[in-house]
Order: sequence, then structure tokens, then C-alpha cells
Amino acid sequence: MTAALLLTALALLGLGIAACTAERTFRVALALQSGGAALLAVCGFWALAAGSSFGSAFSGAFAPRFGVDGLTAFFLGMLGLVAAPTLLFSARYLDSRPRGRLVAGLTGVFVLTLAEVLCARDPLTFLGGWELMTLLPAALILIGRSDEGARRSVFLYVAVTHIAGAGTWVAVLLAAHAGVFGGASVLARGSGLQVAIALAALVGMGTKAGVMPLHSWLPRAHPIAPAPVSALMSGVMIKVAIYGLVRVLVDWLGVLPLWLGVLVLALGALSAVGGVVYALFQHDLKRLLAFHSIENVGIIVLGLGACLLLRARGADTWAALALAAALLHTLNHAVFKSLLFLGAGAFERAVGSLELDRLGGLLRRMPWTGAAFLVGSLAIAGVPPLNGFASEWLTLQALVHVPAYGGLGDGLAGALALAALAATAALAVFCFVKVVGLVLLGPPRRPSVADATEAPIPMRAAVVALAGVCVVLGVVPGLLVAPLARLAPWPASERGTLALHLPGTGSLPTVGIALALGVLSLLLFVMRGRRVAAPAPTWVCGQLVQPQLAWTSAGFTKPLRLVLEVVLRPEREITVRTTGGVVQEVAYSGRVPHLIDERLYAPLVRSGLVAARHARRLQSGHLGTYVWYLIALVLVLLAAAKAGLIG
Amino acid sequence: MSGASIVSAAVELGGGLLLAPLLPGLVQHWKARLQGRRGPSPLQPYRELRRLWGKSAVDPAGSGLVYRWAPAIVAASVAAAVLLVPVAGRAPGLGVGRDMFVLAGLLALARFAVAAAAWDVGNGFSLMGASRDLTIAVSTEATLVLALAVGALVAGTTSLTGMVAGTAGTAVWANPALALGAVSFALVVVAETGRQPVDNPDTHLELTMIHEGPLLEYAGRDLAYLQWAAAVRHWFVLVLAAQVFLPHARSVWLQLGTLPIALVVLCGALALMETLIAKMRILLAPRLLALGGIAALLGVASWLVQLT
Repeated sequence: MTAALLLTALALLGLGIAACTAERTFRVALALQSGGAALLAVCGFWALAAGSSFGSAFSGAFAPRFGVDGLTAFFLGMLGLVAAPTLLFSARYLDSRPRGRLVAGLTGVFVLTLAEVLCARDPLTFLGGWELMTLLPAALILIGRSDEGARRSVFLYVAVTHIAGAGTWVAVLLAAHAGVFGGASVLARGSGLQVAIALAALVGMGTKAGVMPLHSWLPRAHPIAPAPVSALMSGVMIKVAIYGLVRVLVDWLGVLPLWLGVLVLALGALSAVGGVVYALFQHDLKRLLAFHSIENVGIIVLGLGACLLLRARGADTWAALALAAALLHTLNHAVFKSLLFLGAGAFERAVGSLELDRLGGLLRRMPWTGAAFLVGSLAIAGVPPLNGFASEWLTLQALVHVPAYGGLGDGLAGALALAALAATAALAVFCFVKVVGLVLLGPPRRPSVADATEAPIPMRAAVVALAGVCVVLGVVPGLLVAPLARLAPWPASERGTLALHLPGTGSLPTVGIALALGVLSLLLFVMRGRRVAAPAPTWVCGQLVQPQLAWTSAGFTKPLRLVLEVVLRPEREITVRTTGGVVQEVAYSGRVPHLIDERLYAPLVRSGLVAARHARRLQSGHLGTYVWYLIALVLVLLAAAKAGLIG
Repeated sequence: MSGASIVSAAVELGGGLLLAPLLPGLVQHWKARLQGRRGPSPLQPYRELRRLWGKSAVDPAGSGLVYRWAPAIVAASVAAAVLLVPVAGRAPGLGVGRDMFVLAGLLALARFAVAAAAWDVGNGFSLMGASRDLTIAVSTEATLVLALAVGALVAGTTSLTGMVAGTAGTAVWANPALALGAVSFALVVVAETGRQPVDNPDTHLELTMIHEGPLLEYAGRDLAYLQWAAAVRHWFVLVLAAQVFLPHARSVWLQLGTLPIALVVLCGALALMETLIAKMRILLAPRLLALGGIAALLGVASWLVQLT
């Protein structure tokens, strides 16, 4: 039954892709694709709730196999949930863009590829889909724009994900070789093979997920893609890498040594804090959102790290809950991040550029999109009663239970990760207050923004639907937590309730909190009575209120930049032009350099280029030289064979 | 439901919603005395609220819905925090659970609302205050969570009611963990209530404002809500300080009986500190709070060492 539904959903998607070829059927095509994705969401969550699995099981043999189990079903549901509104949004977003039909068709193929990776049950199909999943967005970006900057970014994206992505190949092939692909046999805890597979997976899949310090491609590639593609990349593609990590680290490798759990926690904490700190100092909305993806992947990885540590300490119930926390945050982030990217796309379509300091006042001009964007911002900032808070709460609980069950070392690691997550949450509030203020509130900061009009109905419907999902997932997260905790390969039972009542916590009655906040706010608002408000100009110590006094992104984040100066090393330059002792002009420019790029990658790239220059000397172009090379090689090999080193 | 839990709930609601303005009133009163002034009566905050309730609001040019809703949302989130923070170890749940991380979430919601309202007005001083508040909040929130985590480790639960019960008595003080947690929580109290050396609640100079800054444009009942919310913050952080991080009795009745004394003593301590210590540079405040975080980490370490 579910299998038939799933096949119908995929067939609808395929039909929609085919229909993209003709101009006349463009809208129908996207409606078909969107419907297929919605059906995919339904059968994914259905299969998760029913706990059903169908199709083949995992096998290390190299023949194409497909199947669905609980974990796959959850990720398929997430893919459908994000893809359906995104494709609906594309119907109006892409029709006015150059080569829109091609982009729409390939977007559908991208969705199918992601589904293929999730359903793959043998190493070859998995790796093939994995590579296609990397290449398709590159193609989608280059179809949309082919300027120098975009080509450079895409080259960097493909290069980084392929060099580090080799880790995925190593992990998957080693796992297939050792017979743990699918978790059929068990490796000894802490054995070389187990650790090697885990580390290779962390490098390969961590790169694809955007875990710091392997994230360098993410903030370059995500912002330049068309909005629906950005939404799918940030919302789902990096989550498929999380799926891979969960499969390898939690599902297949058994109990890992403690230090690996601590390493995963450290990577998560670095990504969470690093991602949000750099996001704060971005001036372009989409680039800022891309850095926030790194932050949220960090939070997910923190949940995974807690799961590994608690599992290693034998606290199975909390390990399962930590896994549920990571997966719940994966879903929540998929929803609010695609909402924010689609909202940014709608704003871009309405006003042109997304430079933060030159927007403003969009809540009044685009009330539907603006309100949905506000909901998404509150969700990503992790404030109750929205979904971001529910999963951050569960992650915090998982982390606080690490010291409760742990020894000194892993306990302290858990406490530090807890502090890092709390600081991340506060920084995310900081960042999204800034975004909301600069984009939605205040006066428009540029004439074209003042003339902005609301987006067409399909685009509006897409973002409003996602905002609705944010609210629903925030109010009833408890229904999902129990099935997610059951996905753990060890026995752990959690009963599902509407709210989150967990032993050892003060419980999170999400419905009660939402009601309390809603009812109290409304009550207080009504109690204040009819406003007899005097209109007045803003108080700026008696000065005239002028547009030049408007605050900028850089101004708002300055205190934090000063506090973090030691770590971030911001650069600023002030040039004063004077004539005859009178100051004519003061020019200020400042930026926060990306330290990991400049201190880690730039030297690597430089030394790589230097090595290449030296290697080039070998290529003289004379036939005689190459003959000598061959003779030397043969001699060396003979000598080695003689010495017994080879053969 | 036993008598103790009914009385606890009554004290929690009555104290949090009605008596809270008395706490900043007491601090101001004693601070004046310590500085050799006569100062206002402890009831002054109530008079202020009554005065503001009768005045009209002000809508700055260009402000919108966010500015209008923010005071109600801030007041609602601190009211929800009152429902969350128990006054004794056997308080019944009041619909919002009793979890310590929810407290951090509610405080974040209030902060978001205030700062968004500042952006809605676009006033430079409001935004300056909001951006400083958010900067300091980063280390405050990390320290708050770590300090409470020490309490949670000692009590074995993240439920605040469980923490009040689990940290009662004298046995838990044999390990330095709770004392280190108390040091760290003391800094959180100062930062969350906006007191010196982190912030100066008496300032009338826009350039030095932190918590007051974003409230600059508000008047009338809007301002009354925001000032009441600031007073309620005093209530729940001081209650937590008294019932978790200060020695308290095991019996619920004794806990309820000693709470007023502990609150009065803590208000006196805040007044004394405001008299003795000057406000520090804003950029140094996060460092001070980070020190609190380190103290809490040491607390966690000392508890773990005892276990292993």
C-alpha cells in the first residue's frame, strides 16, 4: 500500500519533469511535481508512524537494490514536505527567469536524486546517487548565471566536495568490504576498521553537511543558486548527508569509543558557534542564511555526539532521545530554512537585491510573505512556542544528560557543548532580530523597496504553508519524538504524547506553553484598552530624524564584534581626506575576514600551487627526458624487487 | 492536592504577579540609605505603575504592529516564567511545565520582542541599548544554563521543582559543586536584573543605557507593562537563587517560611553591591559573565570527580 503510494508519488514527479519540456504545460508540470512531492511527504511520514519497511534490505553486493525503512521513510517525508511548497513556489518564481523551464525540470530531477540516495540499498547505487546529488546543484547554478564569480564559486564547491567527499567513498566501500554495510555484522569496539570507517564518514559526509572546518563551499554555493534550489540544498541536500552520518555512526558501526563521541561533539560545537558568529557579520541575506545552515547542522551534530556518548555509557533511553533530538532538529531546520530561503527569493523578486542595509519596511508592503518570514525567523531563533525551540530543548536535555551519565572527560565535554548551544541560541536571537529589523521593519531604505508589492498567490501560499508547519511542529513535537526514538537500532521505548514529558526533566508541555503565551499576550493586549496614543517623532536628543541616521547591520553587531575582536580579528580602514587642514571626507570600510578560509585553506591552496609549479619542471617536453624517466623508473623497480620490497 | 502545594502555588502566583515590584523598590530604598540619602519608599514602583497606567501611550512616526505588540508579549513571557519557577519543592505544575531550559527560552522571547520593537521605531538609542543587551545576553544565557546544569546534576533532574527539593538540606553542600554554581548564578542575577556592575538602572543618559534603551520611546500603559516585567524578572531570578543556590530547608513549610527572609537578604546584597561597585565598561561585562561560566564548569567537574 505505502509502496504503491510511493511509486505513484515518484511517477507524478517524473511526469512533471517530462511536462517541463513544453512552454504550454509549464504550470501543469510544476503542479504535478508539487503534488508528487506532497504525496511523498504523506507516505514518508505514514511509513514512519506505522513503522513499516518494504523493498530490499541493505546488501554489500554491487547490484542495484532499493528499499525503505523507518529512517529512510522519515527523510523521504522531510524531502516531500520541503519539496512540495518549494516546487509550488517555483511555478511563479521561475516562469519569468531565463531558462526557467530547464531549471524547473532539473529541480525535479534533483528531488528524485535525493529520493534515490535515501532509498539506495547497495553501495553502488548509493555512491552514484551521492555524486549526482553533488553535481546537479552545480549545473542548476550555472544554468541560472554564468558570470565569473558564480563559475569560481561552483568550481570551488565541486572541488571541495569531491576532494573531501572521497571520505564517503572510503567509508562506504570499507563498510561494504567489512560486511557492516547495513549493519549485518558487528565490529569490535575501538577496532582500527571501525574507527577508520567512522572518521572517513565524518570527513566525507561532514563536508557535504557543511560541518566546520569543512564547510568552506557552503556559504559560496548556496546563495548564488535560484531560491527554490537554495531551499532544497539547505533544506534537504545537506540533511541527506546527515542521513548518511546517522546510518554509518549510529546504525551500522555499533558502540563507538568515547573519544569519537567527544570529537563529534567538538565538531558540532565549532559549527554551531562558528556558523552563527559569521552569520552575524554578513551583509547579504542569502549568504547570512547559508551560514545559519552551518549553525543548525552544528546543532544536529551536537545531538548526534550526545547520542554516541550516551550509547557508549550505556544510557540507552537517553541515547535514543538524543538521536530523536538530532532528527527532529533536522526536520525543523529543513522546514524553517526552506521557508526563509523562499521568503528571501520572494523579496529578491520584488525589490532586486538582498543587501541587508538597503531593504526595510517589507512587513507592511508584503504582509503575507513578511509575516511568514517573521514566523520562520522566530523559529530559527529558537523561541517558544515554535518548532526550533522544541528541538533545541530536546538537544539541550540530551547534552545535560551526558555529564549525568558520564565520567570526568566526556562529562565536561557535554557541559561545554551545553554552554556552546546556549550561546548559539542567544546569538541566533541576535542575528534574526537584526534580519527582521533590517528586512521587515522600519522605513524602506531605498526607493525600489518602497514600491515593493506582494508576491503572487502560489509563492505566498508556499511560504505561508511552511510557516504553518513551523507552528504545528512547535506545538505537537511529542508525536514525532516517540517514532524517532524508536529508529535507534537498540531497544528503547518511548510513548508518544502531544507534549514532551520525559523522565528526569521538568517536561515541555508545548501545548500549554503555546496557550499560555498566546492567551496571556492577548489578555494583556486587550487589558491595555483602547490606545489614546499621541503620534510623535522618534527621540534622537532633539536632532532631526534623517535617513542617514538609520542603523546598519554593521552598527548593530558592533558591540559583539568588539567583544570577539581577539578571536575574529576584524579589519577596518579609515581614510580621511583633508584640504587645507579642513576634513572634506571620511571613508570607513570594515570587514570580518573568514579565519578558517584565510588561515587554514589559503595556505593549503598556496602550497598546493607551489608544489604544482615545482612538479611542472619535470614536464620538459623533450622526448629524451621522458625516456630517461622510464629507464630510471624501471631501474628503481628492479632494485626494489631485488631488495625484496615488492613482488 | 496537599495543603503545602496549594499554598506554594498561591505564593508563587501572588508573589510573582503582585509582590514583584516590591523587590526593585526595596533595592532602591536601601541603596539610597546606604548612600546617605532618604530615598523613595519601597512602594515607589507601585506608584510609578499607577501613574503610568493613567497616561497615554506614544506612537513614534513609522512604528507598526511589532512596536504595539511587544510590551504585551514581553509581559506575557515573564508571566509565563512566573508559572514556571516554583517557590518550594512540592509546587504543582501550572500548565507550562517546570523545566529549566524553558526559562531560557522565555527570556529569549522577551529579548527578541524588545529588540524587534527597537528596530520598528528605528531610534538609534533604542537600537544601541538592544544591541548591547543582546551582546551581553550571549554570555548570560550560556552562564545561566551552565549554572542551572550544576543544580540539575546535583538534584538529578532538570525540573526546577525537583532542583529545589534536591538541593535542600546540608548534605549537598559537602561537595563544592553547588557553591561554585552559586557564584556563577550570582553573576546571572546581576545581569538579568540589569544591576551594577553590568547595567545601571538609574541612568538617565541615553548613551549609557542597556536595558532602559529600548524602552525609551514607550510611555503610558506600554511602559507600565515593561517596567512590571523588569520587576518580575527580579522575582524569579531571586527566587531561584534563594531556593536552589542558597542553603534551604527540606520541609516545604520551612522553605516557604524562609523565602521572604532570603529575598530580603538578596535585595540587601544587590543594594550593597550597587553602592560599592561602579558600572564596568560594557565590553568587559561578557568577560565577567564568562568567568561565571568557568566557575560553573568547575562545579560540574567537582561533582563528576566525586562520582568517579
